[in-house]
Amino acid sequence: MTAIPSPSATVPADGTPGTRVVPAGAPAAPPASAGSTLTCVFVVCRGGDPAPALATTPGHRGGGPLRALPAGALTAVVQDVPAAAFSEEALRTRLSDPGELELCARAHHAVVAAVADHASAIPFPLTTLYREDGRVRAALRAKEPGLHAVFDRIAGRVEWGVKVYAAPLPAAPETGDRTADARDPETTAETGTAPDRGTPAPGTGRAYLARVRGRHRAREERRNAALRAAEQVDTALRGISAAARRLRVHDVRPAGDQRTQLLNAAYLIDRDRDETVAATLRRLRADPGTAGVHIEVTGPWVPYSFAATGDGDDDG
Amino acid sequence: MTTTIETPHAPGSGACCTYGPTTANLADILERVLDKGIVIAGDIKIDLLDIELLTIRIRLFVSSVDTARKAGINWWETDPALSTRAQQDRLSEENQALRDRIAALEQGCEEPEERGAGQRERARA
Repeated sequence: MTAIPSPSATVPADGTPGTRVVPAGAPAAPPASAGSTLTCVFVVCRGGDPAPALATTPGHRGGGPLRALPAGALTAVVQDVPAAAFSEEALRTRLSDPGELELCARAHHAVVAAVADHASAIPFPLTTLYREDGRVRAALRAKEPGLHAVFDRIAGRVEWGVKVYAAPLPAAPETGDRTADARDPETTAETGTAPDRGTPAPGTGRAYLARVRGRHRAREERRNAALRAAEQVDTALRGISAAARRLRVHDVRPAGDQRTQLLNAAYLIDRDRDETVAATLRRLRADPGTAGVHIEVTGPWVPYSFAATGDGDDDG
Repeated sequence: MTTTIETPHAPGSGACCTYGPTTANLADILERVLDKGIVIAGDIKIDLLDIELLTIRIRLFVSSVDTARKAGINWWETDPALSTRAQQDRLSEENQALRDRIAALEQGCEEPEERGAGQRERARA
């Protein structure tokens, strides 16, 4: 779709229908004029002093130094970033580039993690941008009660990420087929007649189907066992957590990792209980019930997954 | 028999008081910095819909750029959601993801010939 360039309009060239904030009384100049900056918010903290973290982390490339922006009882950690590189269009383009996206994501996360070492911190998602500091203060003021509730919930706690994968299945062995054959009632003498519910099959075909059925059943059993194991892991970890979230299960990747993910969850756990976390995982991994799965753990994370103000953001 | 996959920040490794940012898996970071955190409306922000689509695709991407490139897969250059913006609606996207997932689950341990037979069998049942 082509938009006709107009010297006096701020219509995006690509016809983006999305919301666009145009400063009141703005002249025809494009919204992201060269040289202007936006305020990028990484994290908001309460108590502690984020200052030591500001000196050691660079934030986004091309931006100014990190700054602590006081807003009432809270402090936001922000950075001035060039508006030209952080407009909607520019961001969409940049974040579509895998390398650029990784840089941005890691830069953002590095600031969040560094600040969280020095103060109770609630992370913002990547690229939360305001036109100027006053807008940040206003936004934080408006959300302050909800933010305090989140601070209370995550205080002294960290997030652990746990994923459960179905262990790769062994290639179906020939012996397994024969076993399935022997067990299948339809291959025994009393069912010498063709199955009554479909087209008649010659003996070999029936035997083949019986084998297939046996394998299918074994597969179902393995799958159910793996799902039960995932639930067992989840239940055990919820038992030591202050809160838990199921995250979206990752898809099977097109290349490389072909394991099926059964559980992707985040657990909010007291910071001083990491030995309990380790012991729980050791116990789970040793349990025969989890023999068919792999358990992967990441953390401790700043409680990203528990930073919402309670708008039911559980991913299915 | 359980094979455990250790992570750089396994519990009990003494990393309890420091968040280990840089070594974490990119997919795990993206999952959090794109999807999670406190959402307070900013003045400029790419659509959440875009972010979700990005996340889905980036998870795939994270698998392995090199392998994908070798296989001639360069969806990130042609994908409408990545190269311009979300052109598919969210529901159909989700449907597709679910379909793919079901296919992946079914495929997980089957031989191709077995699948065909399995489907015939189900059809007859």
